[in-house]
Amino acid sequence: MKQLKVGLVLLAIGGILTTTAFFMAFFTAEVQRFGTVTLSERIQTAFPLQDETEAGFAYGRPWFSQKIFYFHVPVGLASFLVFGAAAYFSIRFLMTRRREYDTKSRVGMETTLMFVVLTMITGVLWTRAAWSVWWQWEPRLTTYFIMTLLIIGYFVLRNSIEDEELRAVYSAAFASIAFINAPISYAVTRLIPSNHPVVPKSEMAVSNLVPFLIAIAGMLMVGFAIYTIRMSEERLSERVGVLKEALES
Amino acid sequence: MAEASVRTRGRSLAWRQFKAILRKDIVMELRTKEMVTSMGIYALLTMVIYQIALSQAGTAFDPRDIAAGLLWLAFVFTSMLGLNRSLVHEKDQGCLEALLLSPVDRPVIFFAKAVGNVIFLLIVQVFTIPVFAFLFLQQSAYGGDLWMIPVALVGGALGIAGVGTLLATMSVNTKGKDVVLAVLFIPLMYPLLLACVSATTAAVLGGDGYVQQFWSAMGIIAAYDAIMIAAAYALYEFVIGA
Amino acid sequence: MGDTCSDRAVEVRGLTRTFGVRRALDDVTFDLPRGSFLSIFGPNGAGKTTLVKVLTTLMSPSKGSARVCGLDVVADAVELRERIGLISHNPLLYPDLSAEENLLFFAEMYGIDDPVGRVRELLLSVELDHRRLDLVRTFSRGMLQRLSIARSLLHKPDVLFLDEPYSGLDPHAVEIFDSLIAQIREDHTFVMISHDLTKGLELCSHALILARGKVVLSAPRLEIDEDEFVATYRATVGTGVA
Repeated sequence: MKQLKVGLVLLAIGGILTTTAFFMAFFTAEVQRFGTVTLSERIQTAFPLQDETEAGFAYGRPWFSQKIFYFHVPVGLASFLVFGAAAYFSIRFLMTRRREYDTKSRVGMETTLMFVVLTMITGVLWTRAAWSVWWQWEPRLTTYFIMTLLIIGYFVLRNSIEDEELRAVYSAAFASIAFINAPISYAVTRLIPSNHPVVPKSEMAVSNLVPFLIAIAGMLMVGFAIYTIRMSEERLSERVGVLKEALES
Repeated sequence: MAEASVRTRGRSLAWRQFKAILRKDIVMELRTKEMVTSMGIYALLTMVIYQIALSQAGTAFDPRDIAAGLLWLAFVFTSMLGLNRSLVHEKDQGCLEALLLSPVDRPVIFFAKAVGNVIFLLIVQVFTIPVFAFLFLQQSAYGGDLWMIPVALVGGALGIAGVGTLLATMSVNTKGKDVVLAVLFIPLMYPLLLACVSATTAAVLGGDGYVQQFWSAMGIIAAYDAIMIAAAYALYEFVIGA
Repeated sequence: MGDTCSDRAVEVRGLTRTFGVRRALDDVTFDLPRGSFLSIFGPNGAGKTTLVKVLTTLMSPSKGSARVCGLDVVADAVELRERIGLISHNPLLYPDLSAEENLLFFAEMYGIDDPVGRVRELLLSVELDHRRLDLVRTFSRGMLQRLSIARSLLHKPDVLFLDEPYSGLDPHAVEIFDSLIAQIREDHTFVMISHDLTKGLELCSHALILARGKVVLSAPRLEIDEDEFVATYRATVGTGVA
């Protein structure tokens, strides 16, 4: 019960922080220049007409696209971190063979899946806003899509094995190798020239940085909260299982 | 009381065991010829489908541009047929249990199976490329250095076999079998394939800075192979004993 | 006598194997002196196979310990594998290899010196020398079982595990199997899982009944009253717990 309460509190705080960051992003942060996408001036409406810039990219809705940034990057960052946690639990499981680690890594992967889907959706929205196409086979987008496929693959693997222990071992092994694969994919994108906007931290104005950091903190809290709530749910169902077993024997 | 047989131990035993497993897998494969023939036919059929896909492309289209991509596509899908070949034999008669019962280090099993897969993959590659060139590249000239192509092939084959052996060991025990293997295998292969196609294209097309492109792609392939094979090696112990 | 096996062939202390809620083995404790023949009985799912798997190092315990031939099943697993053999209801032989090839393969896995000679010797002793070049897929069930015995004796193990070895054997094959076991009875310790109550009791020097992972009965044969034993066994198999 305590865990559930902690989870809910964190969810509330995280939600408040993220929303605050959002409001700050829309009203107090200044419009800023990022990477190869140049903004000529602040656009009053959220959906302006298309503009040609000196960078040669056709982009529309630059103002909106910059604001998605405050949601997209936090969920993206959260997805990597939760994936890392799930992979850590997987390795612990392989080392100790304790079922609790299998449960933890599974719940972690479920949370990762949620964040990954959110990142993909916001990413697609951003692509549409910034480059007027819904999708591009641009290296970074593609490798993130691959990560999505890996997470889905994890659940396909789990569903195809009936024996509990075998399922736990195999999915832990796959989660580990999938996580090792992620930085490689990321490195590959660095080595292949990309159109993906790069935001160097030092260049960000303070009024932009503050909402950004708040958004990250808030989103990470939301992530942890979701994980915690799910875990308390799992613990409860496990206790039910133990009671059932005790009654049957 | 029976006395223990005098026997070899340590490194030389591992080498004996490795050779024995590899030899057994090759002999069994040569005897049944199941996988080699089906892989060969599958590769040929893929070529036919390529022809259909390219039939509307027009005369100005130069197949060299996408040759590398088509080739690696064929290799990946053909390899998936063959990857679980040696493991199906073990599972069928429960022989894996007898194997695990013997004093063999699990990594030795991994390397023996993986090397077996590399060999069969190389055979498929050696078979497919001339056929592909014959069917599609008759009018083309080669821009880059041809010796680069085998280098890229071997680099890719190592990565495919290393990761594929680990995944096949798992997928053989699932309900979905080949489907599960495909779902797990292809996303993991992505960085490797990207680099392999890049390297092979540089070799085939030539053009500006193709040497640079080739070697940077080979760098990625080498890094991928080193990291992923090490990971597969570390995880194999857990997976095969389960 | 040498250092082949301590006085206690099998020592099990508080052996438990759980995964989450499921308890395959629950606090199992028993001893087995060298040279004995242990028969393990119990209903399906009682944990018999799990127990044998732990003792043959194929699975590791969650709690407790087990020693076979004085070697710990976890810490000394690799060394222990040289001392144990397994005969299962599956022949654990590769169907596409000949009898000789099968045995040679396992001889390599155990690192045996003069593998050819040893294999020949064993084939003669199980009367399969005349079929040594034939593929195992052509063998009858009885012949498979004989070859399986040969496989398990290659490395001269001290303890032999038998997992329902009689299933699927016709009476003639049973006879041959029994006579082979009788020949090696003296120098080895046996652990057998069997559903055949009569046969199991006939052969054994010690008996063990497992149910739901727990030991229901563990005693030397001489202390067992047959009718009482049968009653206990029936009760266990009937309800799952005595």
